[in-house]
Formats: sequence, structure tokens, C-alpha cells
Amino acid sequence: MDWTLFLEWLIKSLIVVLMLLVGFAYLTLFERRVLAFMQVRIGPNRAGWQGVLQPVADAIKLIFKEELTPGQVFQPLFTLAPIITVIPAVVVAAVIPWGPDVELFGRTIKLAVADLNLGTLYVAAVASIAVYGIVLAGWSSNNKYAMLGGLRSSAQVISYELSLALCFVLVTLMAGSMHAGEIVEAQRGLWFIVLQPVGGIVFLIATLAEVNRAPFDMPEAEQELTAGYHSEYSGMKFALFFMAEYIKMIAISAIAATFYFGGYREPWFLAGTWLSVDVNWWLGPIYMLIKVTALLFFMVWIRATLPRMRYDRLMAFGWKVLLPLMLVLVFVTAVGILAEAWWLIPVLSLAAGAVAVFLVNQALTKKWQRR
Amino acid sequence: MLLEYAAIATMILVTALVAVIAVVLGSLFGPKRPHARKLLPYESGMTPIGPGTRRVPVRFYLIAVLFILFDIEIIFFLPWAIAFRELGWYGFWAMVVFNIPILIGFIYEWKKGGLEWE
Amino acid sequence: MATPAPTDTLDLAARFPGAVTPDTRPGYTGWVVTPEKLLEFAQFVRDELGYDYLVNLCAVDYLPEDRMEVVYNVFKTTGGPGLTFKTWAPRKDPIEIPSVVSIWPGADFQEREAWDLYGVRFTGHPDLRRILMWEGFEGHPMRKDWQEPFYDEDVKPFKRRWPDGKHVYAEKRSVYGDNVYFKPGFDPEKWTPTDPEEALYKSLKKYKTETSDGIETDHIIVNMGPQHPSTHGVFRAVVVLDGETVVSLKPVMGYLHRNHEKIGERNTWLQNMPYTDRLDYFNSMTNNWGYALAVEKLMGIPVAERAEYIRVIMAELSRIQNHLILIGMLLNDLGAYFTPALYAFEERELILDVFEAVSGSRMMCNYFRFGGVVRDIDEDSMKKIRDLVFDRLPRKIEEFDHLLTENEIIVSRLKGVAPLSAEEAIAYSMAGPMLRASGVPYDIRRADPYGIYDRFDFDVAVRYNGDMYDRYLIRLDEMHQSIRILQQAVKGIPEGPISSQKPSYTTKVPPGESYGRVEGPKGELGFYIVSTGKPNPWRYHVRTPSFVNLTALEKMCVGTKIADFVAILGAVDIVLGELDR
Repeated sequence: MDWTLFLEWLIKSLIVVLMLLVGFAYLTLFERRVLAFMQVRIGPNRAGWQGVLQPVADAIKLIFKEELTPGQVFQPLFTLAPIITVIPAVVVAAVIPWGPDVELFGRTIKLAVADLNLGTLYVAAVASIAVYGIVLAGWSSNNKYAMLGGLRSSAQVISYELSLALCFVLVTLMAGSMHAGEIVEAQRGLWFIVLQPVGGIVFLIATLAEVNRAPFDMPEAEQELTAGYHSEYSGMKFALFFMAEYIKMIAISAIAATFYFGGYREPWFLAGTWLSVDVNWWLGPIYMLIKVTALLFFMVWIRATLPRMRYDRLMAFGWKVLLPLMLVLVFVTAVGILAEAWWLIPVLSLAAGAVAVFLVNQALTKKWQRR
Repeated sequence: MLLEYAAIATMILVTALVAVIAVVLGSLFGPKRPHARKLLPYESGMTPIGPGTRRVPVRFYLIAVLFILFDIEIIFFLPWAIAFRELGWYGFWAMVVFNIPILIGFIYEWKKGGLEWE
Repeated sequence: MATPAPTDTLDLAARFPGAVTPDTRPGYTGWVVTPEKLLEFAQFVRDELGYDYLVNLCAVDYLPEDRMEVVYNVFKTTGGPGLTFKTWAPRKDPIEIPSVVSIWPGADFQEREAWDLYGVRFTGHPDLRRILMWEGFEGHPMRKDWQEPFYDEDVKPFKRRWPDGKHVYAEKRSVYGDNVYFKPGFDPEKWTPTDPEEALYKSLKKYKTETSDGIETDHIIVNMGPQHPSTHGVFRAVVVLDGETVVSLKPVMGYLHRNHEKIGERNTWLQNMPYTDRLDYFNSMTNNWGYALAVEKLMGIPVAERAEYIRVIMAELSRIQNHLILIGMLLNDLGAYFTPALYAFEERELILDVFEAVSGSRMMCNYFRFGGVVRDIDEDSMKKIRDLVFDRLPRKIEEFDHLLTENEIIVSRLKGVAPLSAEEAIAYSMAGPMLRASGVPYDIRRADPYGIYDRFDFDVAVRYNGDMYDRYLIRLDEMHQSIRILQQAVKGIPEGPISSQKPSYTTKVPPGESYGRVEGPKGELGFYIVSTGKPNPWRYHVRTPSFVNLTALEKMCVGTKIADFVAILGAVDIVLGELDR
């Protein structure tokens, strides 16, 4: 090991962390403007041109706000919880490849912080650590809303964790590898969302639940629990939770893009042209950015559109619908691969999805009729 | 390969640094005007009755136990998914057989009402 | 207009000899019942005569006659005029009157209010605590001999405020003046409201249960409100939770209490008109109408023809904007992030434009006068109204229908949640959309018509499941019906004067009582007023739908999830201005 290697890590980590931080700042603005657009209003447009300085103003405001530490909290964990929440949110992005390998300064540089061959497993593992911060915040606040929020959050995240992990299994099956870069390369011809549409949709649903976004934003359901697990937080500590939530959104969008939407690779119809990543490596991050932005827009759109699910329904949906459905999908995909009939996978996947929708519909209709 | 984990450690350090700086900044610049009422736990403006953390309903523990069960199952899926093409149909049927007892457990639990929240 | 029911001819005095006598005071109607026979009489009235719907219960303090009277207004849910009966006790503590909660559970909050403000002890009431004032408050502020800290005079205008034509604020004159009384050792700066809560927490069900397999879990008491984002203001509910499920719930109100009725009794008759705007600040037009109706009834004056049409137009427009906001905010309570609410606000602004054009104010309209309205609608506003009524609003209501009604999450959140049967809804005195969603086609515009509603062709919207989904749908139905009424009214509005009276600052109201009720967007809005012939009302009671509809809140919420509680409260459609008064 030489010092240049360490330098490379440091620079890459710094770039990714800074990218996520700036991304977080502008995601808040993006969300507010998009929401405003969808809600027949204007949104923040005063600080700088079209409000571009709004995140800066927000950050400065939060730094200068009084930070309350209520008397009854468990101080060490209370202070630690926001930090614990931020770290996994950022670190989960370590394995995401932002482009193909690049030759720079005479060495091959991979455009990912860590080139793990256990990519999917790593993502699954780190994503589940994220809930610790929330639970600890809820518990150490010694506040009823926070406690309920923390509990809801942990139960919800671990329930959707299963479906999410099975989505990773699906991806691993289809790509034949857990390595994020290889998964992207495996989607050269066909994105996995096309190959396994229902799997992709379940993945998107589960990610919404995993990052506590509407319509699954139970832990901080404003209407019931005021601010949920971060009820007692203020100032920069609150900002860290906020940051973690948005960074998680970005990270999970990047993961979704990598695993199901072809990652940094160009869309199939551009293969072979000069717009291909094989020709110009710098197009990789751009494609990635476009895909991540599209997915983030999708998340904001959902937030503007849907009301919140009720907690019991959410749990029932995770356990009774998504989990069995994903188990079926895993075996369906395996059959498709073993039979070497790739067309079989999307067909069976859609069939399984249709059956699931039909059964849910039946069950709900029966339930309403019974009442 | 293990070196790659060192890269992740670097990233954790960088993130932790950013987070700690944020907390320190906030506590440095923010005003501090504590008041007895301000320091009460927030409960919509009322003085809370009883402690904030209590014994919670059993369901949450049930979910936790179930989670462990299924998470382990899924962890077994991952190596299978990697070695899947070499194992072929034999591996597929092995996985099906492995799943049957868990599936039976799942159905049992469903019928017992372990998944009911209403 | 309404045909008198045959029961009015029934001689109740003969049925209860010695206990029931007709009220013979000039300007008064109904029957006077002795407290001893009250329950028997009430039972008879409900079961034999069919007056199953208690809409109003209030106390009146007749200080000069040394009697405390309790007035009951009951109606039949099949329609027709109502029956008024009273009971009274001497004004000497304890004033005891039997509680009718066992006969009409809807009397619960209204009796608590009468106890709170008048000190009438209702014997047999299950939970007689203060409701608008806090527990531990001394005295009963609506009594005629009760004086507040900055007491000036009994009625306005206060002469001392204008000693030489210049006004001095009462609070400037005496900060902690002579009549501010504190208990020895009491420091208002250090007072924390802990003790008054005890009675409340005691009224909740026990908060520890044991499951059959011996595993104990704690119930937690959570205060939802007063400073809570989803209680529509400073409403508070104390909730006992078992995990996510509501085990017991008590609503607490009065954080916005300003003793509207006491102030109303000090104001002159006309001064109360703008003051009613502040009750349900979404529907000041309807509030105005309710008050104008009660006073007009007592004065026995007609309303100008054109003004009648204007009143209908304004009331129905405010119904539409109220229901739009309700649907938007209900969706917010379900966790939709403001999009439906802001869509609703867009339409509401257009309606408020009309209000502003005709009355000069967007929300506090102060538009009605006894005998008519204050200003005419100009052609410009008429055009705006026509555009709204014939084109924009029907389109937008359809749009809401398309966007929301079949949404899977909305259906699963609302359908089958917190059902209230027709019998329960009547018993709890639910009013307005809440009653009609439970399958009771009771709409005052049809059942006991006022104004010129009998001239219009419209249907009483009714839904039969009584669950949250029907409470949502009924609002859409009502908006459709309002559009129908509006279209007829806009087509049929005649030219002519807008008031039958000359504008004047003083109003001569003959002695007597009257109860004026209108079908407000939130439910029955009633004004019970008593005049002694003076320039100020002797009694000015507002029966607000928000307040009475909340009586059934506990019944609806127990057994549901905490998330449902928020939605249920949203569907009851409360406004704190009229809830706390």
C-alpha cells in the first residue's frame, strides 16, 4: 500500500460526501419548488436567482438557532443519534459506481469509493443500520411521540427490509454477481426493470418505506406524531436528521438506478453511438445524474399526490403482500434463468404481479363488505 | 480486496467529521436561553403524564422475532444466487425444499394472526 | 310554511297534571316542566311523541325573577316544527336539575356547558366537569351577577370608556384593578396547570390492561393538542393508547374560549351581527343568517324578496367553499401533503372574491341585517357568481371527485372506519353532513324550511353507511346540490329593495324568546335569544355544530387507530372559533 492509494480514497470519499451534501441542499430546494409547482403556488424564489441561495440561507439559519436539549433526555445517545443516522445514509453510497473505470495519471481509477464484490450485501447491511439512529433518537428523547415514531420506524423498516433484501437477491440472480459494477454491465442490453418489472416496482415501493417517504412516512407522521422521532430535536441536530433523510433519498435513488435502471450506462438505443459510455467515459456520471434526478422527481411527485397509508395497513402490505410476492418472484426468475428462456421472466413476473393485485383487491372488497 | 473496506472506513471518518462539525457549529453559535418550561418534553403543550418510554405492545417484539427468522432465510438466498448457475436445477430444488418449512411457518403465523395489527 | 304537527294540539298539561304547564309569558312558547317530572316528561316526548332529536339545551339566568331556567329544543328527525320545553330551579346553590343524558346522549356537552357557565348541577350526568373554563375556575361566568376583572357595566356602550368623548381602554385604567381576586399565596406567574388535569385524567379509562396470556403492556396517555399540527387549532384530546389503538379518549376544549355569549349579551342587537362572523370564520355568511333569522323571528318582520335570494346565494357559496376546504384538509389529515388542500383553496379564493365584492371583507363579512342585507350585489359580482356557478365550480367539483374518490389509499383509509349508525347519530344530536352520512335525511332546509328554500328544487343528500368514506362523499353530494340551488337562485333573483327595514343603529326587539336555526355547512347552527325589550339581548345562546358534533367523538374513536382519530376529527369539521366560543 502506498500513500497515493490513501489519497485516492480520501479524494473519492470527499467528492462523494460533498456531492451528497450539496445534493441534499439542492434536493430540498428541488423538492420545494416541484411541490410548489404541483400545488399551484410558487415556492421559495427570493434568495438568489430562482431561490438558488435558499439552502444556504436555511443552513445559516439552522446554525444560529437555539439548540434545546430537554431535561429528561438521555444525553449521550441524544447527541449521538443524529450522527449515527447520518453515517449509514452517506456510507451506503460507497459501492455505487458513478462511471466506468478511468485511466488517469497512469493508473486505473474506479469511479466508486469502494469496489466491493459484495455490493448488494453491503447495501442491504448498511441500509438496515440506518434505523438505529432513528430508534435511538426516539428512545433517548423520552418523549411519547418520539417513542412511538421510533417504534413505528423500526418495525416498518425491518418489515420492508425483507422485501428489499429479496430485491437484491433478484438482482444478484439476474446479474450472476453481487458486484455493483458487474450488475451495471449486465444491464448493458436490457435494464432489469424491463426484465423483472414487478421486482423493480416492489423495489421502488420498498425504498420509499425504507427512507420513510410518503406515503410511508409513518415515523414522522406529522398529523399524528407531530414530528415523530425528532420531536425533541432542534437546530443543527435536527438538520442532521433532515440531512440524513434526504441523503438517504439520493443514495437509494442511486442504488435503484444502479440495480434496475442500468446505472451509469447509456440507454440501450444509444449503444454504439458517440453517446455511449464506452466511447466517452465522462457520460457515465451524467447518465447517473439524470436517472437519479428522475427517480427523485418520482419520489417528490408521490409525496405531492398520495395520502399516507395507515400503519396497520402498511405492515400488512409489507408482510402479507410484498414478502410472498417477492419470494415467488425469486423462484420465477430462477426458473427463467435455468430454462434459458429470458422472455419467461417478465411474463411470469407480470403474471405474479397481476395475481397479487387481484388477491389484494379481493381481500379488501371482502373486508369492506363484511363491515 | 480487504483494502476496499479501508476506503469505506475513510468515508465513515469523513462523514463522521462532517456530522460532528455540524453539531459543534450548532452548539457554538446557537443562543442558549433555557427555561424550565422549554426543557419539558414536548407533548402538544401539556405537561406529560407518566414517563415517555414504557413497555410497548408485544406486537413490536413479535415483528422483531419474525424479522430475524426471515432475514436469515434471505441471507441464505444470497450465496445461492451467486452460485446459482453452477448449481443448476439441483440447487433450485434444494432451495425450494429449504423454503418449504419456512413457508409452512409463515402460513401458520399468518393464520394464527401474528400479522394482524387491527 | 311548515305545517304544524298534530302533537302541538296535544294538551301536555292534561297528560302531566300539575307538572307541566304552558309557558304563558308574552313572547314565549312551549311548556314548563317541574324538575321532578322532567325525566318522565322527556321520556314521553321522545318515545310517545317522537321528538327524538335534541338540538339545543341551554340555561337562562332570570336574575330579577330569581330563577335559573334550562331550555330544551327538541325536534323530530322526520321533519316538522319542534317542541320547546323548560324547567327551572330557584337561583340558590346548588341548583339541581336532572340530567337528560340518559334520554338524549347528545345533551352531554351541552349540559356540561350549562354547568360550567351557569352552575346548573345536572344530577345523574355521568361526567359533569367544566368544559369551556378550566377545572379550578371559580364562579360561573354567564350568571348575570358574575363580574369579570375589567368589569365596566352590564351592557354596552360603556359610558366610562368615553368620559369626555375620548376613549380609554379598560385594561389601561386598571391593570390588576380592584376586582381582580387571587387566592392567598397564588402567583399567576408561577402557576402551572397540573391540578386541574386530575379530574380529566381520572375520567379516562384505566391505563393498564392484562392480556389473557398474562403479558402486561402499558397504555400510554398522550395529549393530542392543544399545540398539535392536526387538531385544527387549539383543540385538545387526551388519548389513551394501547400501541396504536385508541382505548379511551376525552376531548378538551375552551382554549379559545372568550365567552362569546356573555359579550353577546352586552352588545346591542346589531353589534352582535359582526360578532357572529367570528364564530365559524369560514362561514360568516351562514352565521349572520342564523342570527338574523332568530332576531327577525322575534321581531316578526319580513325579509325583502331580493335579499332572500342574495342570502341563499351567499349561504350556498359559503357551503361550497367550506366543503372544499373540508375535503382538502381531510386529505391533509390523511397525510396528503397539502396538494388537495391547495387545490381547494384556489376555488375558495374565487368565492371569497365574491364575498369581498359584495360585503367588503373576505372572511368577516358582516353582510346581513335584520330584514335584509347591507349592500346590493352589483352586476359585476353577479357575472362572477354566474361564471362560478354555471361553469367553474361544477367543473372543479367533478375534478375533485375524479382525483380523490377512487384513490386506493383514500378508500382504504376511509371505508368502514368509525361507523355511526342512524340511531346513534340521532341520539348524539349529530347535525348536518355528519347526520346525513349516517342515513338520516334530515336537512333543516327541507325539514323545517327557513328563508325561501322551499321554492328551490334540490335533494337532501344522504348516505347510508355512516363511515368515514360516506362522510367524505356526502360533502361532494352536498356541493352538487348547492350548485343546483345556486343555479336556480341566480336565474330567479328579482330586482327590488334589499331590506325591508330602514338602516338604523338601534333595533327594537319585543320581549320574548326565539330559536332560529339554519343548516350551516357544518350542521345545525342555532341561535336562542331572549329579549326583555331592551337594546341588548338578555340571553344570546349559540348552538354550534362543531360543539355538539364532538359529543360523539369518543364513541367514534375508541377502537380505531391513532391515525384514524385525526381523520375522524377532520371529518367532524370543527372550527375552534365556534367550538370554544
